[in-house]
Amino acid sequence: MSLLRGLSVLILFLSALLLDAQATPSSFVGSNVCRTCHPDIWATFYKNPHYKSIASGKETPERTGCEGCHGPGKAHVDAHGGKATIVAFSELQPKQVLDNCLRCHAETLSRANIRRSAHTLNDVVCSNCHSIHKSPVPKFLLAQRQTDLCYGCHTDVRGQFSMPFKHRVNEGFMTCTDCHNPHGAFAPTWRMASRPRMMDQALANEEPCLKCHSEKRGPFVYEHEPVRVEGCETCHYPHGSANSRLLRRPVVFTMCLECHNGAGNFGRQNGGILTLTPSHNLADPRYQNCTTCHVRVHGSNADPLFLR
Amino acid sequence: MKPAQRILIAAAILLPAALAQPTVAPTSEPVGSTRGDNWSDYNIVDSFETGYRFRTFGGSFDQYRSTVNYGDGIRLLSSFFTMNSKDGHGRFFDEIVLTTQGLGNDPYQNATLRVSKNGLYRYDMHWRLNDYFNPGLVTDGAAGQHLLDTEYTTQDHDLTIFPESNLKFFLGYSRGNQNGPAISTIQLFDNRGNEFPLFENVRRVRNEYRVGNEFRVFGVRVNWMRGWEDFKEDSSYLSGQNAGNNPANPTTLTSLQRNEPIHGTSPYWRAALFADRKYFSANGRFTYVAGNRGFVLDETALGIARFGAAADRQIITSGVAQRPALTGNLTLSFFPTSKITVVNHTAVYNIRIDGNSVYAQFDNATQSLQYLQFEFLGIRTVANETDVNVQASSKLGFFGGFHYSDRQIRSIEQSNVQGTIFNAPSEQSNQLKSGVFGVRLRPVKPLSIIVSGEIGRASRPLTPISERNYHALDARVRYKLKKMQFAASAQENYNVNSVSLSSYASHARTYSGDASWSPKDWFSLDGSYSKIHLNTAGGIAYFASGQFFTGQQSIYVSNLHVASLTAHFDVRKRADVFVGYSHTQDTGDGRSLIANPFTDSSNAFYAAQTYPLRFLSPMARLSVRINQKLRWNVGYQYYGYNADFYNNLDYHAHTGYTSLLWSF
Repeated sequence: MSLLRGLSVLILFLSALLLDAQATPSSFVGSNVCRTCHPDIWATFYKNPHYKSIASGKETPERTGCEGCHGPGKAHVDAHGGKATIVAFSELQPKQVLDNCLRCHAETLSRANIRRSAHTLNDVVCSNCHSIHKSPVPKFLLAQRQTDLCYGCHTDVRGQFSMPFKHRVNEGFMTCTDCHNPHGAFAPTWRMASRPRMMDQALANEEPCLKCHSEKRGPFVYEHEPVRVEGCETCHYPHGSANSRLLRRPVVFTMCLECHNGAGNFGRQNGGILTLTPSHNLADPRYQNCTTCHVRVHGSNADPLFLR
Repeated sequence: MKPAQRILIAAAILLPAALAQPTVAPTSEPVGSTRGDNWSDYNIVDSFETGYRFRTFGGSFDQYRSTVNYGDGIRLLSSFFTMNSKDGHGRFFDEIVLTTQGLGNDPYQNATLRVSKNGLYRYDMHWRLNDYFNPGLVTDGAAGQHLLDTEYTTQDHDLTIFPESNLKFFLGYSRGNQNGPAISTIQLFDNRGNEFPLFENVRRVRNEYRVGNEFRVFGVRVNWMRGWEDFKEDSSYLSGQNAGNNPANPTTLTSLQRNEPIHGTSPYWRAALFADRKYFSANGRFTYVAGNRGFVLDETALGIARFGAAADRQIITSGVAQRPALTGNLTLSFFPTSKITVVNHTAVYNIRIDGNSVYAQFDNATQSLQYLQFEFLGIRTVANETDVNVQASSKLGFFGGFHYSDRQIRSIEQSNVQGTIFNAPSEQSNQLKSGVFGVRLRPVKPLSIIVSGEIGRASRPLTPISERNYHALDARVRYKLKKMQFAASAQENYNVNSVSLSSYASHARTYSGDASWSPKDWFSLDGSYSKIHLNTAGGIAYFASGQFFTGQQSIYVSNLHVASLTAHFDVRKRADVFVGYSHTQDTGDGRSLIANPFTDSSNAFYAAQTYPLRFLSPMARLSVRINQKLRWNVGYQYYGYNADFYNNLDYHAHTGYTSLLWSF
């Protein structure tokens, strides 16, 4: 008896699914109907990347034009409008917005980690950065110019790019997405765990700095281990700095000595990182500019002390 | 289009550009507005902003070039062109987008192009130029000896065939060029010798070729790419007769020549799988990069050594280095209910740096030929992270996660003990465990509050400044209405390591706020402020005047205040006015003089503990509509740089431009 009851429930469930699938197409009215009441949006929609779904004529109704995102419009038309009768993104919870967009945009490499990205965890979803109908930029339907968009939340980063020494983001030479993937990133291959987050890696698994600074990629006969193990941020601020060459300290010897202090538990076999030899008299200004002699601090092919 | 509409659109064009643009030119262009001219089945929008930049300055020109670098001359400040087919069925293309900025002679130039035909192809190009000048490490007041005056250009081309289908093909090409003069240093002829300037003609080229494909099989999307990155450096070096940096040292250089070509390639594979279902999604990625570099260093130096004897030395080094790196990632997402997302991410990374090299050195009549062991370095990291994201209600959400990673570093270095050279292998493992937790609140619709934190412990990091014991806290508040927006954040990153010899602690606190107000179409106001505080204390050990000092600390304190304020308004819809001010100031640790009251060996460290400075930049721009298609613009921006302790780098500069913007 219980088996019969179970089968009945299953049949009912499958029937409901089937009915739902059959009922769905009749709920769609087509984008031409939408334009009647929304001519302002329709007037420029041919410039929108989503217009391709209409132009192709091959997509199913639930993936075409206005109803591709806003859902079937029949009830909305019958009710003469209203946000309750259609998928209105302004009324959706952040996760619903994300789910809606990922129906079509999930299976891409750049969004593979969007569910665990810092943006998603902080309720920053697609519609926070993208403006589908009123984008003022020519690509990616961004709601603002990319730097303005990112600065809107990351005010501290705006401050860093206002420093005297900085990567040229404000000047238009670079963009935030040259180094970051706002849709989330794979675990970085330098440093550990997820720190730093949201990095867009070079050649699929390298620190993004190497996209432009290829000469630092090596491999070198003598690698400066922290560069390879911990990354460029060990010595440099990536966004901007008050110090020349984006260094973390205004003078170089203080930065070098903070690691080269022989402290146990660090370096190779916990023997401490090499300290200076007695010939380096720190009271003499000559020895305070380490890179005057150790010119190849990123790695050398000829000298284990990076002298050439 | 009616003139009134055009005016409104023009105002809308200028508004976003005015809000946060730090440089006075050019004016950015919008898309999507109902403007442009129709031709056949296409809509065309076009604009050009051409004008003249001017600049006057006083003080350190080197520092100005290093931080700002705008010059005089005629420029195509910006241009914008779009052509869109109105029915999506253009014969050869459906969309062309071309933008340029700074062409002519600006230090920062870029151009982008997109050409696409729906369903058939999409081509994207991005070209950029950076005129880079860096006078070197001069912030300590000494003359910088490492100067770089290079031009870096980069270009990326990507072509996608059948971009909207389940079977796509990718072709790509990227190129980077760096050329220009540089000055470096070289230390000769022994470890206590002298340092000499070394002139370099930098020539670096990077080429990357990509080919790939994406298809769908058994409900899984597969994406693969094969790429080759070639790198070539053929910089040449030269140095003439020179007494060296230290006149007290008798070592002198008569001539030096060096050639150091480096050629290499990094071929790589990338494969990825995606599957997205109602209750789960799975993504996998595999990459393999097989990098190698061949190198030669041929150096001949002639001069007089430390004890007055003639010195001639030739060094020849050559070899081939290999650097295979493998990565595997698997991301599994589960959606048991509509309110819960569980994501597990596993990452494996393995890199080995190995190769062979030969080193030969010839000094005067003596010859020595030495084979040097290539120093092996291997890094293997395995990470696993699980994050849970719960949307409990429309007003409350929270997330938490546990991240674990294990890193093993292996190296083989050459050691020399009393003349005997041997290989010393070593191995070190480090485990990092960290936890993250956050709460999201949305008590009313326009207001969102997010508080999150992370705490981590590493068992054996590589360097004393690595994160061993750290915690980070982050709080953000955002209030957004249609005409007003307010955002504030507070972040705290503490790294508190403790070691036997010394301790390292880094306390970074950042507080920032941003407010925007646009009460009318013709008026808007935007202001932001950040305080970035950093204080670090690191244990140091060093020699001074023959004595070995331990137990001291290198302290660095920075208190940066960065503020900006911009205002924009229209004057009777005919003129657009924009004014702004940006102020960056490091107040340091509070002292007003660099003078050290102490006379012990910590003098050098005391002087470097803080570096107070001011960098300010007021700006203004006026744009006047002459007729429906033409605007006249004029802009001015002042830059002032002033370091409190070392004023030899101070400068002030007046920059500006006047231009005509023609658009239809």
